[in-house]
Amino acid sequence: MLKSVEVVLLGTSVVAPQDVQVLQVMTILGGAPLVSGFVSHVEGRLQGRRGPRILQPYYDLAKLFRKETVVTEESSWVFLAGPVVAFGCYLIVPLLIPVLTTYGLPLGYMGDILGGAFILALAGFAVALAATESGAPYAQLGGSRAMTFGALIEPTILFVVFAVALITSTDLPYALAATVRSSSSEMVRPGHVLAGFAFFLVVLVDTGRIPVETHSGTLEFGMIDEARTLEHSGAPLALLKWGSAMKQLILYTILINVFVAPWGLAASGRPGSVVLAIPSLLGKAMVLGCVFAVIDNLFSKLRLFKITEFIAAAFLLAVLAVLVFYAGGG
Amino acid sequence: MSPAPSTYAGVADVVAVLVLLTEFAMLRAPLLRSQVRLYAFQSLVVTVLAVVIAATRHIDELYVLAVLSFVLKVVLVPGLVLRLLRDADVDLAGSSVLGVPSMIMIAIGVSAFGIFTVGSLHVHSNALPTTALAVAAAVVLVAFVLIILRADVVSQAIGFFSLENGVSVASLVVAAGLPLVVEVAFLFDLLVAVVVFGVIMRVHHGRSQTLSTEDLDRLKG
Repeated sequence: MLKSVEVVLLGTSVVAPQDVQVLQVMTILGGAPLVSGFVSHVEGRLQGRRGPRILQPYYDLAKLFRKETVVTEESSWVFLAGPVVAFGCYLIVPLLIPVLTTYGLPLGYMGDILGGAFILALAGFAVALAATESGAPYAQLGGSRAMTFGALIEPTILFVVFAVALITSTDLPYALAATVRSSSSEMVRPGHVLAGFAFFLVVLVDTGRIPVETHSGTLEFGMIDEARTLEHSGAPLALLKWGSAMKQLILYTILINVFVAPWGLAASGRPGSVVLAIPSLLGKAMVLGCVFAVIDNLFSKLRLFKITEFIAAAFLLAVLAVLVFYAGGG
Repeated sequence: MSPAPSTYAGVADVVAVLVLLTEFAMLRAPLLRSQVRLYAFQSLVVTVLAVVIAATRHIDELYVLAVLSFVLKVVLVPGLVLRLLRDADVDLAGSSVLGVPSMIMIAIGVSAFGIFTVGSLHVHSNALPTTALAVAAAVVLVAFVLIILRADVVSQAIGFFSLENGVSVASLVVAAGLPLVVEVAFLFDLLVAVVVFGVIMRVHHGRSQTLSTEDLDRLKG
């Protein structure tokens, strides 16, 4: 890391791939609170409020890290380990996806899209386990709901991966991004459009946005993801909040840099282009966040048992993406 | 790695898939009014597709057809059905046989069947990519699912009308230069169907104060 900063300052040779990889993790780690702060600021503006400061998530995290941690007598070490495990998972995923570069990095071939999805699922599992360990009814409810809807959205993710595999013959995210960049007809082919839109709906579900879940407000009955963290406090809560911001930015990054707009990434290891890729990614993520904020204000939350209809719609798009390939026109 | 279709073919396929997606949306729309509006939107998409083919493949007859189908299927038919609905004063469809997710799953299976069977025919066409034909077959089959599974007169009428949209897309693929007389005959057929379904809706609502067809089975035996 130190070496890469040195190289950036001198602006001479190329940044080593390993350093870029570390930089990818750092970008997600440091940029995630900024993006979620920006989204909630825009949301406030759209609702006619002034909205919280854009840097508010950083202050929140700093405050939570200073607070003491309270643990119920009944809960075991799992309650405290869950947030740490989840945070670790969110640190691993940025190694696998194209965050800053168009070319594959050494550890990028460690796992494909499914590998990334598995690690994200492991993180969700760890948080749900910690929520169950708390023994509090609402946290348990949130954990069980998150697992249920996570299982329901899984087939959609699988079919999106199938569509990607049919387009590129691999399931590496780098390969799809390169294919999308290669020509304009790749952007409008039905398989890509449908799979991209299905993945957009998956992001909507996985980040807990309207129409699946309200992320602001304190009504426990409608909560899914939010309810899981109700019993945590202090540093573990900070890790959970930071982790969910990172998960959001990771999913945004996959949607942007793989499906929708894989432009503005560094094509070589030149320090200038690698450094420029960071604001470019965060800027694109903020634009995407604005889209989500608008959706938040346009639609109302679905009743809990109607969420399956929403997931069925996402599944339909993903399946059609695969079907049109077999009709010969994907 | 499968090569991408040309930009024109890709866009045409996406538009055809959009027709199929509106068909699925009709399947789940709880409000009868929104179902009619979805039908109007679907007809608009089909009209746009006809105009695009007319412009790119220089088939002037298709312009006439596009104008006719716009007037009839986007304005006139939905307007008539909406007026009938306003008179009937019924908003929500009756309970359907199955829940929405199960209906969607059945329709996915049926459309997969349509896409695979017609896709394997390898019909070649100059106007549109063959995929559009497979998707049109799926539209027709999903329209059947809509007619069978939703137990109200409006859904059945809209299912029948949108079935005609699927056939229109198929005819654009197979014979974009189909003689205008034949196409107009199609549209005339649609007009007859509108009259028949209008009469059914009025009579049925007048007798049973509902648009649901569920209590019709009492007539048996």
